[in-house]
Amino acid sequence: MPLLLILLFLPWFAWANPVTTEHVTARLLAERQSAAPGQPAELLLVLEIRPHWHTYWRNPGDSGEAPRVEWTLPAGVTAGPLGFPYPELIRVGPLANYGYSGRALHPVTIQVPADWPVGEPLALRAAAQWLVCEEFCVPESALLDLTLPTAAVPGLTDPASAEPFAAARAGLPTGTIAGAVLDIPPAAASGGLRLSVPWTGPRPAEVWYFPGVWGLIDHAAPQPWREDAGRLLIDLTPGAASGQADPDGVLVTRADDGRMQSFALSLTVPSVAPTDAAPPLGLALALGMAFLGGLILNLMPCVFPVLAIKALGLAQQGGLSTAARVGQGLAYTAGVLVFFGLIAGLLLALRAGGAAVGWGFQLQYPPVVAGLAYLFLVLGLSLAGAVTLGGRLMGLAGGTLPGGRGHGLAEAFWTGALAALVAAPCTAPFMGAALGYAVTLPWLPALAILLSLGLGLAAPFLLVSAVPFLARRLPRPGAWMDTLKQLLAFPMFATAAWLIWVLSVQTGPTGVALVLTGLLMLSFGLWLRERTALGADRRRLAGGAAALAALAVALWLAVLTAHSIPVAPSAAGGSTHANGLVSESYTPERLAAARAEGRPVFVNMTAAWCITCLVNERVALDTAAVAAAFARGQVLYLKGDWTNRDAAITDYLAGFGRNGVPLYVFYPPGEAPRVLPQILTPASVVAALSPTIPPNQSQPEE
Amino acid sequence: MRASRPIFTIKTPWLAVLALAAVLVAPAVSAKPEVGQPAPAFSVTDTAGKTWDLPAVAGKTVVLEWTNHDCPYVRKHYDSGNMQALQKEATGQGVLWLSVISSAPGKQGNVSPAEADGLTKTRDAAPSAVLLDPTGTMGQAYGAQTTPHMYVIDATGTLVYMGGIDDRPTSSQTDIPGAKNHVRAALADLAAGKPVAAAVTRPYGCSVKY
Repeated sequence: MPLLLILLFLPWFAWANPVTTEHVTARLLAERQSAAPGQPAELLLVLEIRPHWHTYWRNPGDSGEAPRVEWTLPAGVTAGPLGFPYPELIRVGPLANYGYSGRALHPVTIQVPADWPVGEPLALRAAAQWLVCEEFCVPESALLDLTLPTAAVPGLTDPASAEPFAAARAGLPTGTIAGAVLDIPPAAASGGLRLSVPWTGPRPAEVWYFPGVWGLIDHAAPQPWREDAGRLLIDLTPGAASGQADPDGVLVTRADDGRMQSFALSLTVPSVAPTDAAPPLGLALALGMAFLGGLILNLMPCVFPVLAIKALGLAQQGGLSTAARVGQGLAYTAGVLVFFGLIAGLLLALRAGGAAVGWGFQLQYPPVVAGLAYLFLVLGLSLAGAVTLGGRLMGLAGGTLPGGRGHGLAEAFWTGALAALVAAPCTAPFMGAALGYAVTLPWLPALAILLSLGLGLAAPFLLVSAVPFLARRLPRPGAWMDTLKQLLAFPMFATAAWLIWVLSVQTGPTGVALVLTGLLMLSFGLWLRERTALGADRRRLAGGAAALAALAVALWLAVLTAHSIPVAPSAAGGSTHANGLVSESYTPERLAAARAEGRPVFVNMTAAWCITCLVNERVALDTAAVAAAFARGQVLYLKGDWTNRDAAITDYLAGFGRNGVPLYVFYPPGEAPRVLPQILTPASVVAALSPTIPPNQSQPEE
Repeated sequence: MRASRPIFTIKTPWLAVLALAAVLVAPAVSAKPEVGQPAPAFSVTDTAGKTWDLPAVAGKTVVLEWTNHDCPYVRKHYDSGNMQALQKEATGQGVLWLSVISSAPGKQGNVSPAEADGLTKTRDAAPSAVLLDPTGTMGQAYGAQTTPHMYVIDATGTLVYMGGIDDRPTSSQTDIPGAKNHVRAALADLAAGKPVAAAVTRPYGCSVKY
C-alpha cells in the first residue's frame, strides 16, 4: 500500500508492461487471450533477471525478501496469492538463500465476478516490488498493467504465454505427500531434526527440503538423506526458532534422468509435550528400571511361549546338587544375557545405520519368525518323543532329551537364549521408559541398560536355582517327568502355531504356505533320520544327509518369506472389533486431523507378536464398557500395527520416549496426551478417559 | 515396491561405524549462539583501535548491531533516523551499543576506521563504538546473517535476544511507523526485570558480506 501511494503520486512513473529496471525485466502475462465472467483467469508475473543476480522465494533463507504485488483491480475482481515455484539453493559465503536466477515465475489466479459485462475489458494493475541481489542487494519495483478482453467463455491460450506458464507449473508441487513426520528426537545427542517422508517412487538422485518459513532449519546446513523402508529420511539442522516455526515447506527431488519435481508435505510433529515434560532418566535410574522391568517381564503374557521350557528346566533341577543347580542357573542367565547382548547390539547398529527399528525388531523379520516356528516344532516333536535329538543338534534345539540323559549347561544356556529371543519383544512396565532412554544413548550405556534388563528377566530362575531353600521345594525327578515332558510338547506346538499366525499377519497366505511347506520338509527329514538311526552306517548316513537337506530346504523357504509382503497392511481402511468397537489404522495425519477437529483420540500401538498387546485388547479394549465409553465420547480409535517394520510408528513411539509396544495414549481435546499403563483393564481404560468422558453411563448425550 | 527392500543390509555396519565416528567428532564443532546461554566470545577492535571483548562489557547491557551502510535495509533505518533514535534511547539508559561491520575487504560495506567514523558523524549515529570485523570471525561466532541483525546481551553476559530490528521485513521506510521494534521491546523487558518475550525473531535484510 505505501509503495503504491508513493508511486501513484509520481507522475513520471507510468503503468506499462513490460517494465525494465536496472537488473530485471518484469512482465505480466495472461494465459488466455480473454477471460470470462464467473471464471478464474491465470496470470503470471515474470521477472527476467540479469545474469548472476537473483530474486527470492517465499522463504528467502538467511537474508533477502520475497517479491510482493499490490493489485489495483476493477470492482469485484479479486487476486489470489502470488505463487512460488520451488527455488534453488543459492550459497552466499557461509549463508544460504532460497531464490531464483535467470527467470522467476510467479503465477496468480484472479477471479472475475459472474456479473462482469461480457465484452468489457479488465484493466489489471500490479505494483510489484522485489529485492534483487548479486553480492549486494537492490530493491526494485515496477508498475505493470494488463488489459484483458472478456468474452462469454475463456479465450484461446496465448501462444506467447504457453512456455512460461508451463515452466511455472512444472515448478509448483506435483502433489501433497501425506504422512510426513518431522521428528525432533528426544534427547538426541546430535540435536538434529529428522524429516521422514513416505516415498513410493524410484529412489531419487537428489533430495532437498525447503522450509516455507524462517527459523525451522539452518538453511545452509547439509541435508544428508537416505531411503529406508519406503520413506525418505532427511537429517536437518535446527534453525534459531525450530520449536516455534510452522513446519511447512516443499520437498524437491531430482530423478536419475535429471527430472525435477517438488511436493508439498502434510507434516506432523509427533514430539509433543510428553518428551518435553518428562526429563530424561539418569543412567542409574534407567539401569534400575530396566532390571525391574525385566523382572516384571517374567509375569507378562509375552513369556507364555517360554513358560513351558522354563518349567521343564526347573523340573530337571530337582535332585541336583546345589553346585550343579547354580551352574545351570548361571548358564541360563548367560544364555539370556548373550542373546540380549546380540539383539541389543544389532538393534543399536541398525539404528545407528539409520534404520527405524525398535525393540522386538527381530520378530519384524519374517524369516526369524519362520525359523522360530521350525525350532518350536522340533522341540515339541522331541519332547513328545517322536524324534530323538542327540549331541550337538540337541544343544541347538534347546536340549530337552526325553531320555533325561543330560542336565548339561548347554541346555540351560539355550533355554535362556530362547527366552531372550521369543519372550522379550514386548515391553513391560518400567521397561518401556528404560528402553526408550537406552536407544538415545551411546553404545556402552545403552548396552548396559539392555543387559540389566536381561539380568532382571533371568533373575527369578537364577534365584530358584541358587537358593537351597527354594530348590528344595522342587519335586524329585521320577517317572512323572516323562509324562510332563510329553505334556509340555503341546505348549511348544501352540507356540509354533502362534508364530505361524504372526507370519500370516506379516506376509499373508504366501508366507504361511512357505513355512508350512518348510515344516513338512523338516518333519519328513527328521522322520527319515529317526527311521535310519538304528540301521547300518550307510543308511544312517543317508538318513542324516536327507534330514540336513530337508533342513536346508526348510531354511531356504523361511528366507523366502522375507519377500512376501501382505496384500494390504491389515485392512488399511479400518476394522470392527468385538462389541462394535471400530478402529482406524494409525497415520500421523489422521491423528493430526482428528486433534485439529477437537476430537478425542485413543491410540493403540500393537503388534501380532506382542502377546501382551493381544491380551490387553481382548481383556480390556474390546469390551462393552470401553466400546460404550468410546461411543459416548466419540473417541477416534487409532490402531498402529508394528508387526512389520513401520518407520512412522517407530517415530511415534520415540515421541513418547519409547522404543517398543504396547503403547496406549489417550488425547483429550486440547490437552496434553496421557499415556496409559502397559497392562489394561476395562476399568482402568474408562478411568483414564475421564473426566473428558465421564464414566457415568446414565447421562445420555444431548 | 515388493521384494526390493533389504532388511539387514551388508552396508549397515559401515554406516554404524560412520555414525559412531560422527558422534565422537560432534562435540568438536562449535556451538551456535542460543538465547539463555552465555553470549559467544569475541575480541575485535573498534575504529579507535580499542579492543572489545566480553570481559570489557561485563556488567552492562549490550546491543550488537550488524551493519553495512550501503545495504538498502540498513539505509531504511538510518535514512529515516530510526536506528539513530534507538541508539540514543538505549545509550541514554546506560546500554552499550556496538555496531559491527563484518564485510570482508573489497566487499560492500567494508570501510576503514576513518570512513566508519565519518559515517557515524554524517548520519548523526550514536553507537558506543563501531567494531571492525573484516575477517567475519565475530559475525560467524554470532551467526550474523543479515544487515541489520540485532543481538542483546544482558549484564550477566547471557544472550537474551537475537533477530530482526522489527517485524516488517521490507526495505521501505514507510513500514517503520507501524512496526513492532523487537530491540526496543527486549530492552524494555530487561529494564523491567522480565524475561524477553520475543527472544528469537527473524532477522531480515541483505546478507552479511563475509
